[in-house]
Amino acid sequence: AGLCVCDLLVAQCDVNCCCDRDCSAEDFSLFTTCSVPVVTGDSQLCSQKAAVYSLDVEANPPERIFKLIDQVNPSIFCIHATNYEQALSLKSPEIPTPENFDQLLDKFGGATFSAEPESWNLDTDAENPPDANETSRYEFGVPVQTEDAFLRLPSPVVSSWCSDANPAGFLVNQATKCIRSVSVEKCDSIQALSMLFYINSSILAVKSVFQVNISVQSIVVQSLNGMRTLLSSTDVLRLPVVLDGLCINAVLGVNYHITHTDTGEIIEAAAAFVLGAISKETLSIEQSFEISFTQENTEPVPLSGNPGYVVGLPVRAGFQPQGYPFPAAFFFAALALSSNKHSQLTILHSTSTQDCLAAQGARAPVLFGYNMISGCKLRITAATECQPLAQTLLDVLKGQSFPEYVASFGNSQAQDVLDWVPITQLLISEQMISHTLQSSCQIPVSLGIEVKWTKYGSLVNPQARIVNVTATITSTTLKQLPSGRERIIPITSSVVFTDISSPAEPSYKAWPTIDIKLPFDFFYPFV
Amino acid sequence: NNSSQLSSLPLQILLYVNGIYYIFYFLATLAMMIYKSQVFSYPDDLLAPDLAVLFLMAILEVPRSYLGFKGNLTEAEAPLGLSLGLTVGSVVLCVYLLLWQTYVLWADVLLNAVLLSAYGLESGLKVTAIAAFVS
Repeated sequence: AGLCVCDLLVAQCDVNCCCDRDCSAEDFSLFTTCSVPVVTGDSQLCSQKAAVYSLDVEANPPERIFKLIDQVNPSIFCIHATNYEQALSLKSPEIPTPENFDQLLDKFGGATFSAEPESWNLDTDAENPPDANETSRYEFGVPVQTEDAFLRLPSPVVSSWCSDANPAGFLVNQATKCIRSVSVEKCDSIQALSMLFYINSSILAVKSVFQVNISVQSIVVQSLNGMRTLLSSTDVLRLPVVLDGLCINAVLGVNYHITHTDTGEIIEAAAAFVLGAISKETLSIEQSFEISFTQENTEPVPLSGNPGYVVGLPVRAGFQPQGYPFPAAFFFAALALSSNKHSQLTILHSTSTQDCLAAQGARAPVLFGYNMISGCKLRITAATECQPLAQTLLDVLKGQSFPEYVASFGNSQAQDVLDWVPITQLLISEQMISHTLQSSCQIPVSLGIEVKWTKYGSLVNPQARIVNVTATITSTTLKQLPSGRERIIPITSSVVFTDISSPAEPSYKAWPTIDIKLPFDFFYPFV
Repeated sequence: NNSSQLSSLPLQILLYVNGIYYIFYFLATLAMMIYKSQVFSYPDDLLAPDLAVLFLMAILEVPRSYLGFKGNLTEAEAPLGLSLGLTVGSVVLCVYLLLWQTYVLWADVLLNAVLLSAYGLESGLKVTAIAAFVS
């Protein structure tokens, strides 16, 4: 009965199914053909009974013909007999009963089941203790856990409004800005405006073992007109209060600095705050958050490419430390790198006032691949003295600390001295054809930095490599002005990046050599 | 000295042929068991007894054959009698493989039937040989 494969509907007649026992003679008369003509048991048996169904369409009404025949399997490997009842049928599953329920639950209740459940359990027990140590360290991207939840870095989610549910990932340096709606009345009730909200819960060092308190690194107070002052003492926790219609000590920005070991444990956490004031009219403020991770005992130096320079990243520069004058010692000295971006390779940054003497502080970093030109105007009167002016202009053009070496790759390390290119300094003096041949002093009027770079490496992925840096100072003679007159001289500085890559050289595989040797005894009878 | 030769020539021939046939039988049955375990559902706790019986029969076959040869050639009835006893054991194992194996294929039936008939004929010849040696 179970062998009739077209009998799908229970207690109903299937159409064109001649072996269906639910069909009556009237149903058979409506069939057109028999979908399953032969019903047998397993065809591997040597001899078995087979039921053959056919439809006699000529009779009126059509009727089903049923014949029982003996089917013989002629193969020599046919099954003559079996002593195993379940041999040729699918195993029916065990029905759970109160007696075997526990055993079935053990076997099939887990996420996986295998043929030998006992050996499986033993393996996982042995592996558990070392696994527990492995997963308790932080890995890249894993949310930094605190006492109650995760270290939050509010960030805009769908719109620009701040969402406090963004966890900070370990070793993921992030900087986010978002807008928070505020009002002066609710100044002290909005939690996100208070410093306490950000340093309240302590960070777990190794995922539920030790706790690291977040210390306050610095507090900068920003006034309503945007001026920022660094507070000298960071001991007092400044909470938002309403004062004179303003809400002061509201958090405008938090900068987390997390120090970690090289095994994934957090050992220190510090937060630098920017506090500001909210006036009555302000409905929303922009908060900015940043988190950065530093490995202990290292100085974080951002790379400008790996290995070739990336267009737009600053050109890395450095100094040779003092006290290493001999060339032999040169190879053992490391370059002093500074992470302060103002002692990198910088050029003068044009300001709105365009006055060279007033703009001595503004400098812009030289970004790889970006040619820049900037300048300022110098007013010379009769009373200006040449020598101090020349020194001042040199400072204006070159900056306070002009570096001596430039990294040839974006990821050059300070200890690989050969990876650094020295800056060649040229001095060109424009001899103005003047009436008098008196030796007058020269003042520098322009600084041109030319960076020659080449494509290095493979053709499909060329890396930019700086080959040569030349800083050319052009100076001109300062003509003495008659008293009362004044002149304006333009001072310019520029950076030019030149690609000096040589065309790619194709390299071919070596020609195959034909290696023929005559057999040893080729000339046998004669040699 | 042909009149006093008691060793049975038919028995000798049969022992020799049986030895060769047994090697073929053993390899064929082992191969078919491997085939059955791959093609059919053959759980380990049913496969183990069948393999054990086959190997036991192979282990019995060696002394049985050797004692038969020795007894017939030296015209001694003791080894021949021992060989007869071992033949009985082999017959029992052969019947097991014929009737009570998990899967009995048609080829199994043929091989075992031939072996069983060889054992039967051999036993008859051994009995007459022993009778000839004793008297």
